Amino acid sequence: MAVQPATLNRRSFVYRELAALGATFREVNGCAVAATLAAGRAAEIAAARDLGLADLSGLRRGGYKGWTALDWLRGQGVAIGENNMTLKQGDGSRVARLADSEAMILGDLAGGSALLDRVEAGWSITGALGAYPVPRPETNFWFAIAGRHSDTMLAKICGVDLRPHRFPDGAVAQTSVARMSAIIIRHDLGATLGYDMIADSAAASYMWTSLQDAMDEFGGRPVGLDAIVALAAETGPA
Amino acid sequence: MKILNCPLNGPRNISEFVWGGEVKEHPALDCTDEQWVDYAVLENNTAGVVREWWYHVPTAYWIIAERNTVTDEIIRTYPARELFKDRVEFPAPAVKP
Repeated sequence: MAVQPATLNRRSFVYRELAALGATFREVNGCAVAATLAAGRAAEIAAARDLGLADLSGLRRGGYKGWTALDWLRGQGVAIGENNMTLKQGDGSRVARLADSEAMILGDLAGGSALLDRVEAGWSITGALGAYPVPRPETNFWFAIAGRHSDTMLAKICGVDLRPHRFPDGAVAQTSVARMSAIIIRHDLGATLGYDMIADSAAASYMWTSLQDAMDEFGGRPVGLDAIVALAAETGPA
Repeated sequence: MKILNCPLNGPRNISEFVWGGEVKEHPALDCTDEQWVDYAVLENNTAGVVREWWYHVPTAYWIIAERNTVTDEIIRTYPARELFKDRVEFPAPAVKP
């Protein structure tokens, strides 16, 4: 059911920009998420095969930091890979190891994370001594960049080589993007090349605008969450 | 752009890092004010190979780099914990009457 962002306590950091693009919002986790924009689902799926930008800021995410954080998470049954790599978990969540002392957990595209629900319920300051939660839903925006031009577009604003043959699915780059510190994670959607971008929520509008500026020459444009979900459900060639 | 090799993140543009000063030996806790100022503020400004603190901003990660200040060549980078293996405890000062 469509909702107005201002009627909810949580809304995207770029909800005004999304509303100006004709977004239809629906509630996910108590947050207004742009499901589609003015172009509509079918046109946005087609656009995102080439280059699309979507706001996932309403979706579930979190993480833990501290010298015992990784061991504590492993004890909770979380699979953790090498530094700067992401491992997909049984419930569809992804766990990105950011350092020897930090991991970030990203929920699925439906907005849930059974893993994060379980881990958060099991955490206490005394029970997980030295492992501290990182409140990423409030401090970080989360954008998805999809499409066959996304690596070329990102090369304009990021010094790390993100081309698919150098930066495998699940790889993490913690680097400078458009002169801002950001986390980039390769996350292909079905057969479509894709990246997550997570960075300081206070600069969400700046990055949203900067990315559109960088996307212009490739015909890239913002799309709703539904287009990202549809691409992720595909298994054939893009 | 000059490249610095981060032990966590790999080769990165130098613009992602902030210089953090020379690596020095911590003075004794009962050192004089002059010794503390020398440690905290003054730099030796050595011509040659020095060990320096560098901070990778996107990951909030402190590393140590060995750099030749004459040629500006970066010789080696490594995690700070290679040098600083033990936690330094600072006893609470006695409360003055």
